[in-house]
Amino acid sequence: MRIFCIIPALNEEKNIGSVVDGVKKVVDEVVVVDDGSLDSTGSVARAHGAILLSHLINRGQGAALQTGNEYALQNGADIIVHFDADGQFSVEEIKDIVRPIINDGYDVVLGSRFLGKATNMPFFKRYFIIPLARLTNYLLFNVSLSDPQSGFRAFSRQAAAQIKIEQPGWAHCSEILSKVVSGKIKFKEIPITVTYSKFGRSFSSGFEIIKDTIIGKFIN
Amino acid sequence: MIQQLIALIIILFFLGRLFWQKKKDSISLTEFIFWLFFWLASAFAILYIKTIDSLVADLGFSSSGINILFYLGTIILFYLILRLRLRLEKNERNLTKIIRDIALMNKK
Repeated sequence: MRIFCIIPALNEEKNIGSVVDGVKKVVDEVVVVDDGSLDSTGSVARAHGAILLSHLINRGQGAALQTGNEYALQNGADIIVHFDADGQFSVEEIKDIVRPIINDGYDVVLGSRFLGKATNMPFFKRYFIIPLARLTNYLLFNVSLSDPQSGFRAFSRQAAAQIKIEQPGWAHCSEILSKVVSGKIKFKEIPITVTYSKFGRSFSSGFEIIKDTIIGKFIN
Repeated sequence: MIQQLIALIIILFFLGRLFWQKKKDSISLTEFIFWLFFWLASAFAILYIKTIDSLVADLGFSSSGINILFYLGTIILFYLILRLRLRLEKNERNLTKIIRDIALMNKK
């Protein structure tokens, strides 16, 4: 089983090196998609042994993940893991997130910050943005999951080929969920740990996600 | 009467700009024809506003002809904004595809 880890990165020169160092110990290939960074994210990632795909201009995290997925599919990945570049996810949990695909025949495994493991999620995010995102997903896509905006997930090769991410921005999380459900893909949520070093996305970007999700629902 | 005259002068100004833009080759023939038709139709509506009033009344609307023209104009504007939004979305996707292909070709 060849496991590829896709890490979209934007201006993460401070974190990307240590993230790549950690991830490369547990997967076969680490692919960093530099999404138009203005700092030296790309060269740091390369120096730490990652395969580097560079977007000449910023296209959004969803677009970067799809670029990584296409690379992984073209290069023989059996399992594709999405992982954040800011060091908030735990490298040790990559084996937990791929296990249901290897052992139990699942095609998509989604990390959830709300299934028991401790996180220091900011108050507003936990009690306002995430519940609002849950409600939006339920109303628009009839998807009811504990964590609709988690960026830590794994796909089997078949699932990655089936789910083409078209939402370039943050709304890709909801898009992936809706495609998993509408495509009748076998999936499960597993608990993950997230350590917040900062708020993550800004408060206003929470509304951006919901706006993009709603517009995407009607335009796609 | 004065209002009609002012409206016609404004339309003449835009028609003049349209011909000037066409002379400079800054708009395509299709665009030129579309806007020429649009402004001529507007001038026609201004000149025959009384006829439009009675036509609108015959159709059962309680507003005057000029109000109906405004309503129609607003509906058309919303439709054009939607089309613009869709076109913009398509361009964004095409741009992403180009950027992605370049990234995949220049893998390091």
